[in-house]
Amino acid sequence: MAGIGFELRRLSRGETYTSLLRAYAYAGIIGSGPWVLSILAVLVLGLMSVGLVGESALITQFQISVTWLIALSLVYTGGLQLLFTRYVADRLFDHQPERVVPNLIGLLLVTLTPALVLAALAAFWLLPDTSVSYRLLMVIGFMLLCFAWILTVLLSGLKQYGAVLKLYALGYTTAVCAGLWLRTWGLEGLLLGFVGGQAFLVMGMFTLIWREYPPAHLLEFDFCGRGRLHFWLLPAGLFFNAGVWVDKFMFWLWPESGERIIGALHASVIYDTPIFLAYFTIIPGMAVFLLRMEVDFVMAYDRYYEAVRKGGALSAIRHQRDAMVLAARDGVLDILKLQGITLLFLVAFGKQALAALGISTLFAPQLVIDSLGVMLQLLVMAALNILFYLDRTRSAALITLVMLLSNAVLTPLSLWLGPFFYGYGFAAAMLITALAALAVANRSLDRLNYETFMLS
Amino acid sequence: MSQTDPAIDVTLLLEGTYPYIKGGVSSWVHQIVSGLPELRFAVIFLGSRREDYGPRQYDLPANVVHIEGHFLFGDDARPPSKAVRLGDGARAVMADIHQALRGGDSDNLSVNNLLDPQSALSERAFLYSEEAWDYICHQYETVASEPSFVDYFWSVRNLHAPLWVLARAAAKLPPSRLFFSPSTGYAGLLGVLAAQHQQRRLVLMEHGIYTKERRIDLMNAQWIRDSRNILQRDPTEVSYLRELWVRFFEVVGRLAYQAADPIISLFEHARSQQVRDGAPADRTRIIPNGVDVGRLARVRRPPGEAPPPVICLLGRVVSIKDIKTFIRAAATLREKIPDLQAWIVGPEDEDPAYSAECHDLVQVLDLQQTVSFLGFRRIDDIFPQVGVLVLSSISEGLPLSVIEGFAAGIPAVATDVGACAELINGRGDHNDVPGRAGRVVGLADPAALAAACLELLSDSDTYHNAVATAIARVETLYGRDRMLAAFAEVFRGAMGDESPRASYQRTGAH
Repeated sequence: MAGIGFELRRLSRGETYTSLLRAYAYAGIIGSGPWVLSILAVLVLGLMSVGLVGESALITQFQISVTWLIALSLVYTGGLQLLFTRYVADRLFDHQPERVVPNLIGLLLVTLTPALVLAALAAFWLLPDTSVSYRLLMVIGFMLLCFAWILTVLLSGLKQYGAVLKLYALGYTTAVCAGLWLRTWGLEGLLLGFVGGQAFLVMGMFTLIWREYPPAHLLEFDFCGRGRLHFWLLPAGLFFNAGVWVDKFMFWLWPESGERIIGALHASVIYDTPIFLAYFTIIPGMAVFLLRMEVDFVMAYDRYYEAVRKGGALSAIRHQRDAMVLAARDGVLDILKLQGITLLFLVAFGKQALAALGISTLFAPQLVIDSLGVMLQLLVMAALNILFYLDRTRSAALITLVMLLSNAVLTPLSLWLGPFFYGYGFAAAMLITALAALAVANRSLDRLNYETFMLS
Repeated sequence: MSQTDPAIDVTLLLEGTYPYIKGGVSSWVHQIVSGLPELRFAVIFLGSRREDYGPRQYDLPANVVHIEGHFLFGDDARPPSKAVRLGDGARAVMADIHQALRGGDSDNLSVNNLLDPQSALSERAFLYSEEAWDYICHQYETVASEPSFVDYFWSVRNLHAPLWVLARAAAKLPPSRLFFSPSTGYAGLLGVLAAQHQQRRLVLMEHGIYTKERRIDLMNAQWIRDSRNILQRDPTEVSYLRELWVRFFEVVGRLAYQAADPIISLFEHARSQQVRDGAPADRTRIIPNGVDVGRLARVRRPPGEAPPPVICLLGRVVSIKDIKTFIRAAATLREKIPDLQAWIVGPEDEDPAYSAECHDLVQVLDLQQTVSFLGFRRIDDIFPQVGVLVLSSISEGLPLSVIEGFAAGIPAVATDVGACAELINGRGDHNDVPGRAGRVVGLADPAALAAACLELLSDSDTYHNAVATAIARVETLYGRDRMLAAFAEVFRGAMGDESPRASYQRTGAH
């Protein structure tokens, strides 16, 4: 009898699980991404000016200009960084490397044209009493930073850490040298040096991408096609960066804590000094965590999907899932251990350390609470990293929304309570977010087998 | 029409056959529908995927008043994936129903249970709930001996997937006075669900034994991966997933047997197999295929005329027909009948390698003057020139060619497979006529085959007795009118209606 034909093609099982492996290609980016580099950049620029440029007001104006550029460009590109990187990871997974560059150019064109308009308007309205060349350099600097963040995340998403680090070293050396050379032109000279360094960095990264993925055309809009972009990444990246910066913006603009430096750009010496120092204290924790994620977790992750796709026994699949959980837990525990020691050190010797750096010891209590907040932020990033690996972009977006909202609500509260509570709003917001993020990551790992098989 | 007086008398549930695929079952269905114009039929076609089927192969008779198709493995079927929360005990419900189904109890497998979104048997519950996941994992760990979890998991999913397509189809079928499925399998299952849903009777018929055919299919299926490695693989042991599928169809077959009344087969062998597979014996009955005896009677030779020295095998040139035994028998028989002709009438394109081997064998045995491959021919042209019809098959159901040969007054020599012995030696019950309409021989025994042919061709009395028995038997048992009358009676009985209604005598004539 001519039976049903038995067309059970659905058994092409492995295909269902490839999206998770694509996620792997772009995970691990928040931790190593522009966020660290940006903080480092601000500090390096501060250092480069110390003792080199006589006028401290000029240095402050330059530093604050660059800090604002970094903050605004990071917030603007926060979502785009992830969106681009995932798109590129997908194309490489589909073996279409020639599509990377033309679509990158297309995406940059579409997303950065509005940025240029906004930057020009901002330069016109928000920078009164400054020279035309300063405003022009600010607009160019903003655009270059937008390019730089996107390319940085893209390259680190493609695991090109070495190349990124080298290019950054070269770029910032250029910026410092050019700043020194041009310092006779004052603020504009320093800014021109910075812009030159950024231009060098952007060109270097772009050349690297071009060389790695030679394009077939110059421009493509393939990313506009249905299902090409993963839109949950947009809020995830946007809210994360806005969440990282919202407390700073508030302190800068709050009349009692901030002051106007240049144009409409404000700064808050009382808040900025301890929190930027605090970001330095998490470098060891971050390094160890990255190592745990990129080695132990990724290995377990690869073995897990190998077992799923290549027909492993359920016990093997469960075993690899447990290995992932262990790696994640070890990473989190390492952060707690290392940062706990750092915190104890700060509690005991914070004043001495500040005095040794020539910074007022009055900042010591705030440095401790900021370091706690920054440590908790590192835990948030750890949890987000896990969620990105597991392709739970929607959960990640919700976590970053929690981060933005809690920071935006608790920071004004700490401002209202007065200088003694400065930093507590940020730390409390990070505590709430870290708990939520770890709970969600934990649940995602718990339900990983069920969701991988039943809901993918 | 009101709910109690449906516009449709018989809903035909057809799996991969009529009206889109040509073949034995499709011709049979067409014969039934055309032959019972006083009944109004609905045709429900079940296919794999829509794109697998071309245009209709048959002109639907006017009494087919409704037709619809359902595709079990189409891509549009699955609901969007979203986690489902089920109440406590959902897993126990799943375990219980599987246990019950294995025993052939389909009480809980109703359209309402399958389609109610709150039910533990709903599609989304099975596909997306954590309880279903736990149940599948538990089964994998305690029952399955398949090493690859992902293969097991997707086999289980694919196994169940058509269930809800069938349930949705069953829920929407137009009201009908009776459901009729000419096979078990998915069509039979749809019959179980629809008959239960509409509180009507299900009539089941099997042309072959579906479960056995599926078993052969499944053993050869390439899409079932055998994930055992070289050390785990015991060649005598079938992979667990193949067995899983076979058992699924066995369960589905048992469900249809439990629900259907009557359960029809073509011959006694098939009936007893059904009973062995779980069909209640008192509900089984035999209705053999029928042929147009009147038309074939016109090609009979005049009574008493000596048979031409021609033996003929009607069938495709494939190994299951064991053409080689026929050729070897021809070689033996030529020793006794030098002017013997041995014809092989049937297409040769299905298995070219086997066909070439047969031609080689003719060469080797130097039979070029005796054996002819005639290809496809009209039986009306062939039958008047044939002395004995030969069937050397190693497997058969109820061979239509033998019945047609009988109607044309030609005795048969056949191997003892399927219904051949019943056809030639008689069923031995009071309805049958006594006598032998030819000879039955063992499988792959060219000498016996040749001896039987010689006996018929050389002894005039034996030959003419066999011819008379063949004609009498086909007229008594295998006439088309008799078959149609039997089905008309079965349908009327199952519709709970012993006489045709006035309403459709009035409207059914269009």
